[in-house]
Amino acid sequence: MDFNIYNGLMTGVLLLVASAVVVPLFATHRKLAGTLNFLACLAAALIFTGVACQVLIGTGAPATFDLHLGGLVMPLMIDGFSAVFMALISLMATVTAFYCIGYMEMDHYRHYSLRSFFFCYPVFVAGMIGIVTVDDLTTGFTIAWQMMTLASFFLIRFDYKDETIVRNANKYLLLMELAWAAVLAAGLMVPGCGWGASLHQIAENLGVVDTGLRTLLLALAMLGFGMKAGMFPLGQLWLPDAHSVAPSPISAMLSGVMIKTGVYGMLRTLFWMTPDSMPAHELQYWGLVTAFVGVVTLFIGTAQAVKQVDAKRLHAYSSIGQIGYIIMAIGCARYYLGHEAGLQALALLALFGALCHTLNHAVFKGLLFLCTGSVQYTTGTKDLDKLGGLFGLMPVTAVIAGIAAIAVSGVPAFSGFTSKWAIVGAALLPGKAAGIFVIFGVIALVTSAMTLATYVKFYGMTFTSVGVEWNEKNDIHEVSTAMLLPKLVLAAVCLVQGLFPFLFVALFGRVLATSAGSITQVLGTPEMLSSLAQSYAGVTLRLGDAPVAFSLPLVMIAMLAVAMLFALWLRKAGGAEERTAPVWLCGYQTLNNANRYLSSHIFDAFKKFMKWTGGNVRGA
Amino acid sequence: MNPTPNLFVGIAQVVANLVLFLALAPLFDGIVRRVMARVQSRKGPPLAQSFYDVLKLLGKENIDSTGILPFRLAPLVAFASMLCVIAILPVAGHATALTPYADTISLVYLLTLGGVAVLLGAFASKNIYALIGASREMTTMIMVEPILFMILLLGVLKTGSLDLTAVIYGTPSAEFGWPGIVMIVVSLFALQAFVARQPFDMAEAEQELLGGPFIEYSGPNYALFKYYMMLKQMFYAYLPIAMFVPLLKSGYFVLDLLLQVVLTALVFLLIGLLSATHPRYRIDQAIRYFATLFVIALAAIGAAVIF
Repeated sequence: MDFNIYNGLMTGVLLLVASAVVVPLFATHRKLAGTLNFLACLAAALIFTGVACQVLIGTGAPATFDLHLGGLVMPLMIDGFSAVFMALISLMATVTAFYCIGYMEMDHYRHYSLRSFFFCYPVFVAGMIGIVTVDDLTTGFTIAWQMMTLASFFLIRFDYKDETIVRNANKYLLLMELAWAAVLAAGLMVPGCGWGASLHQIAENLGVVDTGLRTLLLALAMLGFGMKAGMFPLGQLWLPDAHSVAPSPISAMLSGVMIKTGVYGMLRTLFWMTPDSMPAHELQYWGLVTAFVGVVTLFIGTAQAVKQVDAKRLHAYSSIGQIGYIIMAIGCARYYLGHEAGLQALALLALFGALCHTLNHAVFKGLLFLCTGSVQYTTGTKDLDKLGGLFGLMPVTAVIAGIAAIAVSGVPAFSGFTSKWAIVGAALLPGKAAGIFVIFGVIALVTSAMTLATYVKFYGMTFTSVGVEWNEKNDIHEVSTAMLLPKLVLAAVCLVQGLFPFLFVALFGRVLATSAGSITQVLGTPEMLSSLAQSYAGVTLRLGDAPVAFSLPLVMIAMLAVAMLFALWLRKAGGAEERTAPVWLCGYQTLNNANRYLSSHIFDAFKKFMKWTGGNVRGA
Repeated sequence: MNPTPNLFVGIAQVVANLVLFLALAPLFDGIVRRVMARVQSRKGPPLAQSFYDVLKLLGKENIDSTGILPFRLAPLVAFASMLCVIAILPVAGHATALTPYADTISLVYLLTLGGVAVLLGAFASKNIYALIGASREMTTMIMVEPILFMILLLGVLKTGSLDLTAVIYGTPSAEFGWPGIVMIVVSLFALQAFVARQPFDMAEAEQELLGGPFIEYSGPNYALFKYYMMLKQMFYAYLPIAMFVPLLKSGYFVLDLLLQVVLTALVFLLIGLLSATHPRYRIDQAIRYFATLFVIALAAIGAAVIF
């Protein structure tokens, strides 16, 4: 059993490495190279997903191995958490690789060689798989991190003829190396642990050192992973710049999955690297600090996202905001774990929310970047001031982007809803037992209204309203089926995530059952898991006998559907006739480019009010 | 207890809620129109005028200036979302068949969905006035929705549950203490913003934006939006009554309900008076006003958490 997991992992990684060597040889045949790259990713993804399923279904997990590579020994560990992240990376990598085939044909990229692109892409994926499977902070971590960082650095600077892009990529590289140094330093400074010490050993040794050193080491690890995840203020330093200049499918990978490796690292730090002997109040302190940082991250990130005029910068800032929700949930879970049973059930809800939002965000944000990529492909711009009115021209992309935008805004029955419900609910329900978290919950809710504003603006200014017809390019049309297909797949996944959250509960149960560590001991018990009741209609949290919070998307969507049928009937009831007419601008104006509302005008008063949050756009 | 009759009662309650709101909302709107007229020394329309307006609009020409789906979808979604809110609302302390399927967070997000639909329609309509209105509407929503939520949150904190019946009726009013009093004041000061009336009707602003988000809508589509606005208005006027005025507990549901309806009518009287006597705020002034309310409400929540 264990042997299969190990072999599967190795085969997948070797396949990706082989693809990195072979595919660049065909780089002059762009479509062929893209297809080969996709097939390699698909094969590797199937293997990784197989491994993930085996881990989650079987009894062999958590599986630990030592990998010998030359003279180096690195510990690997695959448990339920790794499996979920592996499956997520596999899905996004495959779908994006398929999208790349069409996208890299873009006019703008015609004179760029794809050799480095197809070398870096599989290495990047392999690096991320590595990060979520290695079990140390030194040897294995360094190899995986450098694969991921260097490969993504070259992918970001793909358009190397533009100086800004190169500068942003350099900044990204520098900061990621700093993050690496921080984590590595944390790993090496633990007394009694050298290169290749497993997390388990690190946790044991952290138990005997004094509080000051332990705090320093944990803080270093949190800073390193936080940098990757986009934690405030570190995320603002690199994330929007890097995500907005990379080719769109790469942005989808960066925002969808790469920053999730930071979340993974934070989870490991807070729940696996904390020794059992650590005093409860110290752990709670960590939870409180993490949740606070999460709240600041989500508020500031989203407030900055509202202001953006560049579609990809908008998505990037919003990614910081959404990661903030996840960090806050992790912090809540850490805090509640130390408390009495009532709060522990809420820790379960918070952690469920964090995991759920990680998966949801990966899909809908990936989808949004791919849709923006399609818009950029066909119109040549990602400037919201120049876009508008694409719904009629690219209807399929518009509908898909609509699903993703609604999901990120947390509209009931779509995928962001249940995860945000879980996170906000977990923050609000402790009441007096953890008062500060109630305030955090209120701020999270305010922020979700701002997320909504961000995506109303993005969607409105790109797909509805007017403007693109006065843009430079005038042969705007829907993108090819090859570029629509991956988006359709992701949109379907996104809808399933939204409508059937009980799948997540089942998955979460398995994740806890197949992981070791303090989380599982407290939360993995059947009594605890039963407080998060699942039915086909949705998820219910029970404390004691009564259900205290419930998210039932299927009921909600059924209710909305019935109500909409009634509204439809009402609209028809009067027998009114339909007619089309031009837009009415008070009779003395025509609709033209000088006479429209731009993205930089929208929410003007609110943007001024929020000026202190930073991330302002000049002239907007 | 046998669950079948309960289910039957619950379903009857859903229908009763819808009928109550659909029938009364236009009349309440009529109260506001009449009060405003009287303050301005006019006679004012009959109380049922808003009802006639909707009926007439339903038969008039439906003009589409855009030809895209979001424009036609928006009024349906707005109206439907509000119906859902009403269907889950435990009116006069009685949970409907649908109340156990949506908690407070769901309620807030359903209300947001209605706002989203208005914005979607506005953005789809290509009209600069609609877009300016949408921008203001969204800004108001960001600032005001949290205040509504914090009012409900008081109930959440007292009962430790997000279930709507528990949140709205689970706490005797006296137990809210002074955070409750602060919240009553806050909800009074936010009332005009909740119902989008002067001085906070920046989004529609008939005199400058000609109806803002709704400028391109006509006929049945506009009727749906109008009905949506009236239902929303009634919901927001009803909520503080349900939350802070204790139920009569007379044992007769109808009597309890009647008292709540009469009190809601009084709230509408207040709305009318305030609308008639206040000039419109600019959006930047309104933001500062909401921000102050937000901070006060947050302080009350903080106090409720600590003490």
